[in-house]
Formats: sequence, structure tokens, C-alpha cells
Amino acid sequence: MAGTGRILLEAQDICVNYGAIAALSGFSLKLMEGEIVAVIGANGAGKSTFMNALMGMVKLAGGTILLDSYPLTGRTWKAVQGGLSLVPEGRRVFAPLTVEENLRIGAFTRKDAGDIQEDYDWVFSLFPRLKERLTQYAGTLSGGEQQMLAIARALMARPRVLLLDEPSLGLAPIVIRDIFKELRRINEQGVSILLVEQNAKQALLLSHRAYVLQTGRLLKEGNSRELLQDPDIRAAYLGQGA
Amino acid sequence: MNFTLSTLIQQIINGLSLGSVYALIAVGYSLVYSILLFSNFAHGGFLVVGGYACYFLLTQWGFNTAVSMAGALAASGLTAVLTERLAYKPIRERTSITLYLLIASMGVNIVIENLFVITVGGRIRALPQSTFPTGVFELGGGVTVSASDILSLVVAAIFLVLLQLFLTRTRWGLAIRAAACDLRTAGLMGVNVTFLIGLVFFVAGLLAAVGGIFLSVRYSLYPQLGSITTKAFIAAVIGGLGSLPGAVLGSLILGLAEMLTAGFVSSQMRDLVVYSLLVLILLVRPAGFFGRTASEKI
Repeated sequence: MAGTGRILLEAQDICVNYGAIAALSGFSLKLMEGEIVAVIGANGAGKSTFMNALMGMVKLAGGTILLDSYPLTGRTWKAVQGGLSLVPEGRRVFAPLTVEENLRIGAFTRKDAGDIQEDYDWVFSLFPRLKERLTQYAGTLSGGEQQMLAIARALMARPRVLLLDEPSLGLAPIVIRDIFKELRRINEQGVSILLVEQNAKQALLLSHRAYVLQTGRLLKEGNSRELLQDPDIRAAYLGQGA
Repeated sequence: MNFTLSTLIQQIINGLSLGSVYALIAVGYSLVYSILLFSNFAHGGFLVVGGYACYFLLTQWGFNTAVSMAGALAASGLTAVLTERLAYKPIRERTSITLYLLIASMGVNIVIENLFVITVGGRIRALPQSTFPTGVFELGGGVTVSASDILSLVVAAIFLVLLQLFLTRTRWGLAIRAAACDLRTAGLMGVNVTFLIGLVFFVAGLLAAVGGIFLSVRYSLYPQLGSITTKAFIAAVIGGLGSLPGAVLGSLILGLAEMLTAGFVSSQMRDLVVYSLLVLILLVRPAGFFGRTASEKI
């Protein structure tokens, strides 16, 4: 599913400071409805900070975040109600809760019981293994299964934008491939996706457009296919010297 | 022999009754700890507010026992919420170092205690005789149970079961359990964390009030009554801080240990045994019985 040309999420000149250190200095990004957008960059470029800023988890020193051209208030639960749902870095499943409880808490903001049942079926069709492990504690799942659970949990909020912070982190290449395949399927079913990744190659292969972030500033943006061929990007982020 | 056996049974009953009151207090302690990871020493203050609210509703305004207890629970719950908003929230928003919260909670405890000293005075009070059943039942072999012991055991059990149902069967209960595991991520699920923390404090304050009322019945009511939470704190540590089943188990162990010591050794040795037990547990199992030791997969 490619973009429809309608802006769903827009970040304008986002600035975030940690004490005296500027983590983001005027970063802007647009996500069209139906699009997959990737933010790539090295460790410490400000990718996670950007995700946390979108979710209202860190205070903005400047800038605006618009969802459907309405500004978000900076309260996390309102961002979730508005349709943003983040799969946090390191998965962060609730280890002492069961898989089923993890999914149920994902649907916390929703009150439509009937549709929630539909969404259980939906996430089980994406990740059948979760259905087999429904009564198991999330902490006993493998890393890949935990990532699947974290994504499924975020989908239970029925988001308009699924945000993923380093979904490939710490996973085996074969598991990463599976997960990214499911992300494409999720997008084809109408969910716009914004992901930040250090694994630039996978992120560029999956996304329609991408932004390259370097020490809190935009370095480059463009069509993902073109960025994959860009000699600078290849040298700096894809480990293929020019 | 018969004497010893009846003493044993008698002290077990007394111990369970006392332990159940500790459990009400310890569970609130543990609940707050599980979410914010600090020991809330103002918990004793909440308990005192509950005790005095019940006393004055009964004696000054002449309400019946049920209404007075309900009023006391509400007063204590609101005190807890207010304490969180005024004393802890400003700290939480500035730093993640929980030591500051712990110090603030000690300060709040002193404030509450002394507010009662300067307003109603430090003298020891007793809840009116007619408030709670005073009968004593003979179980045979010289074993007796007082009605107030049975009442405190039953009421404590009811409240603990209600808490368990709330935590396992409701939407907000699930959110609290998720927040106990990872507060930040619970926020990412769309849980209004500020409201959740307020709710946890309200529940903790409410349970403290029930404990405070029964302690006032068992002993008496005075501004320093809250210091008994030290025992509940020890019970929570023995059970594993942050674990609710642990807090209940620890409380019952503590209640039994105290009463058996009182029955078979000497009443004065109670605290010695309690603290020895704490030291022993900390040496053998530093995380307590149900403490968090299992590491999570990152």
C-alpha cells in the first residue's frame, strides 16, 4: 500500500534537549496515509528520542506534532487514543503477565468489545504462534516471539500509525525477515507505519520513503529505493564502501 | 500438655488475627512499592487518619459503625491521593531517584502525626465500646476467641479478596499489574499514568484505614499509632517487596511469630523475634519469599 497523498502525521521542527545536550534540533517529518516511512541513523542520532517525542514521553523544547492536522497535547494516553501506538525499543513485553493479558492491555483505550475480538483474530492471523502461547507468561517467550507479541500488543490499540523503535534489535536475521514480512502485511491492511532502525538495509527495503538522521538533524530524505543506491548512504549506513 | 496445646491454638488464632491486620497495611505498602519503587513511610500516617476519622465520625457526629468506617476509608484514601499529588508528584517529575520520595514520605509521616498532636492532642483514645462486638467465645479447653478478632480476620480477608478480584478481573486492575512490571510501557498502552498512580494510592490508603480501625480496636488510638507500620513493612520485606501474596504471607508469619513468642516465651521478646526474623530472611533470601529475582529477557 503506497501513500494516498493525505498527510496523517506531521512533525515540525522538533527540538528535544537532555539537560544541555540537544538530542533533536529541528527535525521535521511527514507520514502520508498508508505509507511506510523509515528513520535511519547511527546509535545516538536521536531516533528513539524522536519516537518518544511523538508519543509524548519526552518534553519538546520546540516544534509541533500534528495528527490529522490537529496538534497532539504531549500526553501519552491521548496520543494512543488519537491513533499512535509504539512498539518500544527492546520490546518491553510485560513479562509477569500472560500473552493474553499483554494483548488485553494493548486494547486498554478501547471500549468496543466486539471489535476487540475481531482484532484478536487479526493479530493471530498475523502471528499464529501467539495463539498457541496465549496462557504462557510473556517472559518465557523467545526474543522473536516477544517482538511479535510487542507488535501484536500495539496493534490491539487499532492504531492509525504503528510506530516501531528498532524492531530488528537483538534478533536473528531469519527472525528479522519474518517480522519485516509481517510489517508489510500489516501495512497492506491499511496501517501506516513509521519505524526507526539502525538496520538501514532492512528499513530501506521495507519503507517507501526514509529520513536519515545524524546527531539530531536531518541529513537526507527521499525515496527509499533511491537512498539504497545513494553512494554516501551505502558507504555510511549499509557497510558497502563506494 | 493440655495447657500447652490450648495455648498453642489460642496463640495461633491471635496470631492470624494480628497478621491479617498487618496484611491490610503491608499490602498497601507493597502496592505503592510495586508501582513507584520506594517504601512509602507516610503509610502509617494514612492509617492514623483512618483511625481518627472513624473515631470522630462515631463520637462527634454520632454516625453508626458502617457509615463511620466508610467515611474513615474515604478520608484515608483521599489523604493518600493528596500526599501523592502534593509531596511525591513534584519529585517524580523532576528526578527518577526514588530515595527522594522515601525521604519525603518520612517527612509526610511526621507532618501527619504532629497535625494530630497539635489539633486533637496526644492522649490515648479508645473507640466507643458499643462500636464493635465485644463478646468472647469459648472454644473448649480454655481456648477463647474474641468477636473483634474474628471480625478483623473476616474483614481483612474480605478486603484482600476484593483487592485480588479488582487486580485480576478489571481493566484498571490489569493496568496496575502491567504498571507494576513497567510503568513507562504501561503508559505507552494508553493508560493515564497520573490517574493510575492516584488510584493505587487511594486503594493503599483505604486498606490502611481498615488496618488503622482494627488496630485502634485491638490496642488504642493515638497519633503515633502509625509507627506500627514498621511491622507491616517488615512483613512486606519478608514476603518480598512489591509482591502482594508475599505481603500477606509475610504478615501472617509475623503475626504468628509475635503471638507464639508472647504465648510461649515472653511478651517482651516479641520485637526481638520479629527483627531477628527480618535479619535472618535478609541473609538467606534478600528478595524475600516472592521478591523479584527472576531476570527478564531484554
